[in-house]
Amino acid sequence: MAISDISHRKRYLAEGNVYLPHIAVIEKIIDETSGVRTFHFNFRDEKLKAEFTFESGQFGEYSIFGIGEATFCISSSPTRRDHFEFAVQRVGKVTNALHRLGVGAEIGFRGPFGNSFPLDYLAGKNLVFIAGGIGLAPLRSLIWNALDNRAQYGNIDIIYGARSPQDLCFKYDLESWEKDSSVKMTTTVDREAPDWQGNVGFVPAITEKVAPSAENAAAIVCGPPIMIRFTFPVLEKLGFTPAQMITTLEKRMKCGIGKCGRCNIGDIYVCRDGPVFSYEQIKNFNSDEY
Amino acid sequence: MTKEIEQKLRDEIRDLLETGKVDHIIGYEAGSLKFSTTPLITGDKADVDRLVINPFIYNNLSVFLRDMCGKVGIVAKKCDARSIVSLIQSQQIARENVFIIGVPCGGIIDLAKVEKLTGLDRDEIDDIVWQKEKAVVTFGGNTREFPAKEVLADACLGCAPSDFPEYDIFIGESESLVAGKDLGRNKIKELEEMAPAQRWEFWKNEFSRCIRCYACRQICPACFCNRCFVEETEPLYISPVPKWQDNLFFQAIRMLHVAGRCTNCGECERACPVNIPLGALSKKMEEIVEELFEYRAGMDKDAPPLMTAYQLEECEDLIR
Amino acid sequence: MKKIKKQSIPGLLGKWQQEFTVFVPSKASGVSQMTVWDGKDTAFLDRNRNTAIPPKANFLPAMEKLFGFRKEAGSYKLEPADGEPPRQLLFGIHPCDARAIAIIDMVFKDAYEDRYYLSRRQNTVLVGMTCTSAYDSCFCTSLGFGPADPVDVDIMLTDIGDTFLIEEVTEKGKELLADAKGVVEATRDDEKKAAAARESASARVSRKIDTGEISKRLPLVFDDQEFWEKISAKCVSCGICTFLCPTCYCFDINDEMLRSDSGERYRNWDCCSFAVYTKMPVENPREEKWRRVRQKVYHKYLFYPELFDIIACTGCGRCIRQCPVNWDITQTLSNLPAGTPVKK
Repeated sequence: MAISDISHRKRYLAEGNVYLPHIAVIEKIIDETSGVRTFHFNFRDEKLKAEFTFESGQFGEYSIFGIGEATFCISSSPTRRDHFEFAVQRVGKVTNALHRLGVGAEIGFRGPFGNSFPLDYLAGKNLVFIAGGIGLAPLRSLIWNALDNRAQYGNIDIIYGARSPQDLCFKYDLESWEKDSSVKMTTTVDREAPDWQGNVGFVPAITEKVAPSAENAAAIVCGPPIMIRFTFPVLEKLGFTPAQMITTLEKRMKCGIGKCGRCNIGDIYVCRDGPVFSYEQIKNFNSDEY
Repeated sequence: MTKEIEQKLRDEIRDLLETGKVDHIIGYEAGSLKFSTTPLITGDKADVDRLVINPFIYNNLSVFLRDMCGKVGIVAKKCDARSIVSLIQSQQIARENVFIIGVPCGGIIDLAKVEKLTGLDRDEIDDIVWQKEKAVVTFGGNTREFPAKEVLADACLGCAPSDFPEYDIFIGESESLVAGKDLGRNKIKELEEMAPAQRWEFWKNEFSRCIRCYACRQICPACFCNRCFVEETEPLYISPVPKWQDNLFFQAIRMLHVAGRCTNCGECERACPVNIPLGALSKKMEEIVEELFEYRAGMDKDAPPLMTAYQLEECEDLIR
Repeated sequence: MKKIKKQSIPGLLGKWQQEFTVFVPSKASGVSQMTVWDGKDTAFLDRNRNTAIPPKANFLPAMEKLFGFRKEAGSYKLEPADGEPPRQLLFGIHPCDARAIAIIDMVFKDAYEDRYYLSRRQNTVLVGMTCTSAYDSCFCTSLGFGPADPVDVDIMLTDIGDTFLIEEVTEKGKELLADAKGVVEATRDDEKKAAAARESASARVSRKIDTGEISKRLPLVFDDQEFWEKISAKCVSCGICTFLCPTCYCFDINDEMLRSDSGERYRNWDCCSFAVYTKMPVENPREEKWRRVRQKVYHKYLFYPELFDIIACTGCGRCIRQCPVNWDITQTLSNLPAGTPVKK
């Protein structure tokens, strides 16, 4: 069925024009890895700066005027709105241009678009976050959201891995979560590395080792497609039902609003009906292109 | 005559599949519209009876060769055979993986020309029969004869009579062509007679219609780059937005890229949905290549491709 | 019902020209498309076969500026190009194209309103004309309407020789004809002639598909890779079927620098058959051609109907006529295997 009520997503349309970006200013740049940068930004318009909010899982369309637009999730939490964040991996024209920006540079922002992590469903549950590489970015928003509302959730497990220690993103978050006694933090790298004392192994394998309980739990998984495809069977073995497994799907996007056509999987548009889906929903797609 | 040739073709191809000499074949079968044909790509010998030969077998089937595995039997007109040889020269296909079935071709009837001459659309014409050097067209109770020069495709009219470059078997006998070096050059003559400013206005107008469907590129056997320059973003050569400047630039670069490999089969112009006279560009390009380098694409499978080999004897007055 | 003699149409178009930009089907540009009326052309009155470029170009142009941007004193200023578009009147629209416009209206209205498209739509009047000679590629009658049905237009003209029978379909249409010179009451005889013309127009549509059977089989054959590979073998992945299709609407968004400190953002037509359409750095879910061909068929005949209860195809046949390899969607649809229910 055609999407019904998204009136809440239309709140921040610039002049009511869904294709017109807001102007935002880069406030801080953090080098996560050699190819990944986090940008802290804020809106130039004071009113928008004060009012803008979003839900964990949603994304924006970020513009470098003259170069183009690209899709990134909002990686900061809506519980911390003094600024907003997104993480960019350098892979092409727009992302390279973003990496060349300095503090004070202006970008465009359209959003927030997409659906969000189902907080109602997750309330009261034990949360198991499983992420690989830059896949931690959308999850990070939800993790801080949950930690800022700690009492609403049960146990929190975070399993995170990357190719090598240098490829671990958000190291400052990993440190905080490691120190947080209400969180069980497991970090891993794919292969042995000098000066690495932690776990070694692919994220799906480490997940199997950690063996989080499926009892009253939900698993939120994000990472390279191959990691997700190998993690789901592990979770199923641990007793998680498809409804208990949540992920974000990635597709090439342009408009972000379900019109340009390209991000579809069957009759759903990842930008509009997603990017957050449960594995149960994914299994019911009328297409295998996920 | 054609019915015999068709039957011989079907028998030969059935034999090729049955004996396992080829894994797949590419040929022509009747299309779903009047006076149309469509590529038949199959490994099933039951499909062989659908193969046809007629004056409407316009597709250059060599465009499908690169994506096929195993040994492929391909029905080829002379221009198609040149394209196949050109692909072999460019090391895109191996000679031993292609079984070339040459077919006689007296020229392809350009339906757009017939439509213009009769004032009717293709589906309003009752019949078009090719009778050696003329087409007999029946419509609404009338019958008119048009000489070959008026109905054959420009690319066919310019088909210089020379030997079929390469084949494994040839069905029937080579047909005589109503062709000559000066035929099929009407558009080029028009353009050559224009002053540069006038010519620029002409192409600006033509390319304002281009919608960047890339049919010209996709249908061309010489356009086989895995990543076309159009898709490069760093640096960005041309914008994907179909402004006439970028459209013209796209086509100009494409023509230059295929120089020395384009065999002027005319498919780019036939495929263009907005009627841009691309054949004039490709034919002119072919003439320039022959003039500068005394080279014709796709005639000798052992010759190095023009643009990747340097001959000491090459003229150098283009280097200033 | 009213009627008007064909010879009075130029006068009527002239009157309309005062308020609207009037478009008529014409080949003057080099390809048949809706073209601004030159005040003289009347060829389309007697011979109006479907244009090559569909009228969607009047609502979703092949390229459309979204906004301009300029850097002033170190800060960006955006100038949206979403102003009020000029009023346009499209004369001689066929039912297949009118229905197609109504079909893509749905996606541009859904969820977020697309101001650019919708404002053009609002400022447009559609004057339809019956199709008197369907192509051999037409199959509109299989999609729930016919070549003479007054679907989704403001006025419908039925050709009865030297005269058009006029049906005022909407209030907008009625207003347009108020004070129109040459518009008189039609006689019973005229109406009989029109009914006969409609019959014969429908009878001319020879190509047919069975949408009921198609809807039944499509969900079952999605995974039949062998079928889709065979079907898609001759497709060359160009954009002709998409760009010339009146119900295709996929677009791309691109920026251009015009000067070192200013430029524009456009949207332009894009095509799901293109190999790079869904390409991401990490993977391309439709790398293989058969997946792209499958997507085209399914989007039109299954996915769009799931969202909007209507097949995104109106049987205009342009894709069949213009495809450089004569890939024929009606052949594909008529040869869908019976399929086996897929176990999930």
